[in-house]
Amino acid sequence: MAHPLREAAAISGIGETAYTRGTPKSALALQLEASLAAIADAGLSPRDIDGVVPYFPGGGIAEDFIANLGLPDLKLSLFVPMGGATCVAAIQSAAMAVATGVCNHVLIAVGRTGYSGARVSTRLQQFPQFALAAEFEAPIGMFAPAQLYAQGARRHMELYGTTARHFAEVAVVTRQHAILNGNVVMNKPLTVEEHHASRMISDPFRLFDCSLESDGGAAIIISRADRARDLKKPLVTIMGVAEGHPESPASIAQRPDLLEFGLVKSAPRAYEMAGVGPKDIDVAEIYDCFTFTVIRQLEILGFCKTGEGGPFIMDGRIGLGGDLPINTHGGLLSQGHVVGLNHAIELTRQLRGEAGRAQVKDAEVGLVTGYGDMGDGSIAILRRAA
Amino acid sequence: MSTAPVAAPAPERPLPTPTRESQPFWDGLREGKFMLQHCSACGKVRHYPRPVCPHCFSMESEFREAAQGGAIHAWTVCHHPFNFFFKAAAPYIVALVDMDAGVRVNAPLRGVTEADLKIGKRVRLGFEPVNKEVTLPFFVGD
Repeated sequence: MAHPLREAAAISGIGETAYTRGTPKSALALQLEASLAAIADAGLSPRDIDGVVPYFPGGGIAEDFIANLGLPDLKLSLFVPMGGATCVAAIQSAAMAVATGVCNHVLIAVGRTGYSGARVSTRLQQFPQFALAAEFEAPIGMFAPAQLYAQGARRHMELYGTTARHFAEVAVVTRQHAILNGNVVMNKPLTVEEHHASRMISDPFRLFDCSLESDGGAAIIISRADRARDLKKPLVTIMGVAEGHPESPASIAQRPDLLEFGLVKSAPRAYEMAGVGPKDIDVAEIYDCFTFTVIRQLEILGFCKTGEGGPFIMDGRIGLGGDLPINTHGGLLSQGHVVGLNHAIELTRQLRGEAGRAQVKDAEVGLVTGYGDMGDGSIAILRRAA
Repeated sequence: MSTAPVAAPAPERPLPTPTRESQPFWDGLREGKFMLQHCSACGKVRHYPRPVCPHCFSMESEFREAAQGGAIHAWTVCHHPFNFFFKAAAPYIVALVDMDAGVRVNAPLRGVTEADLKIGKRVRLGFEPVNKEVTLPFFVGD
């Protein structure tokens, strides 16, 4: 029997602000601006929203959405505290809410002043999930994600021969895609040589291995599939969706295998719910806080074996026209950092046929991942419905 | 119009705030001992300290002194000081070490060059007092 959540819900609306470095707007204003855009994209009124999952911490809370959008009867207010895995994990929570009839239209929204507001090492101190890192690792000079995730990347290089050239490929291809998109922070070409010459942040991560600190907002609306069918845009259904939490979730250092993320658990569940496998995926939007993170997730997702991610991505495979185009919008590395909600938005555009110059021909099934909070992993598999 | 980024935190060393569970670990470092939490019921070691044994769910535990040697599991070399306190020290190696006692420790590795780093390289723990209350771990080559 098919999973009860399979294609029970759809992404009915998508919205984004401009992605910039510098803004006079608050994170809440960016979050609401994107929300209004998503609501208009769906052809809904703000009054139709009856569930809200704001990204937290940063931006607003449910009360702000009621006060600003005049929501008459909010039935669900949720936080999904999973760092970079939040947005895609929130799709699961929202799909459950609409599939069970608790809500009709759930808004997932991010507002972020990552450039003009507090920077990453300051922001993370608001996360209870970082308490162990704060106690045991910050005092010895390790606290930022670029440092904490670097050790796993180094181990992959030592065990499997993955190289900086592989990392550069992710950065360069992602930049090529960004240049096709009108709403990006980084719009100049990047070469492998420029990647290798960029300053070292935390070995093996150089500057161009790291995602952007940028300002912007993004929002999507999850609706029950039968209701979404009657809305403005082509129907994009959620075939499978899952979140996963790794062993030793708040401490990478104590995790038995540094390279076993939550996605190891969530990806098989999402594929099973969707009734598809890696071979069926036409386009993938992979959470790219770091270049290496993309390589490792492609292994976990079953596109290649563990250790083969480096060679797998070479020779045009992950570019437009390749076997598996990824991050067709420019990702967190080159478009902007809205905690990966831009990845879900781009996948929806691809499946609607609205991706412009980055459109993957005949894209019908795609997947999007979230990764963060020391290794939580979320995944959604979407389909353009007939 | 863009606004200026918020100023970075003042360059003070981030210090641990021990919890009721972790206090004996930090007390041990101050005395030059590597103290690890063991379950009183099943005897298994756990780190970082926490109230419940995830193997047998006992809430009874005791701290025992553990061996100070280990082997490198992974490392990073920190160049960008995310906290300004570490600017003067950068670049510095942080080694993640499989301790012989069965847990991992992340700490700066001193007296070893980047070229000599490899998985499995033997190191041992050192103890650096930073104030009256707090002593922090570091590694040296063994």
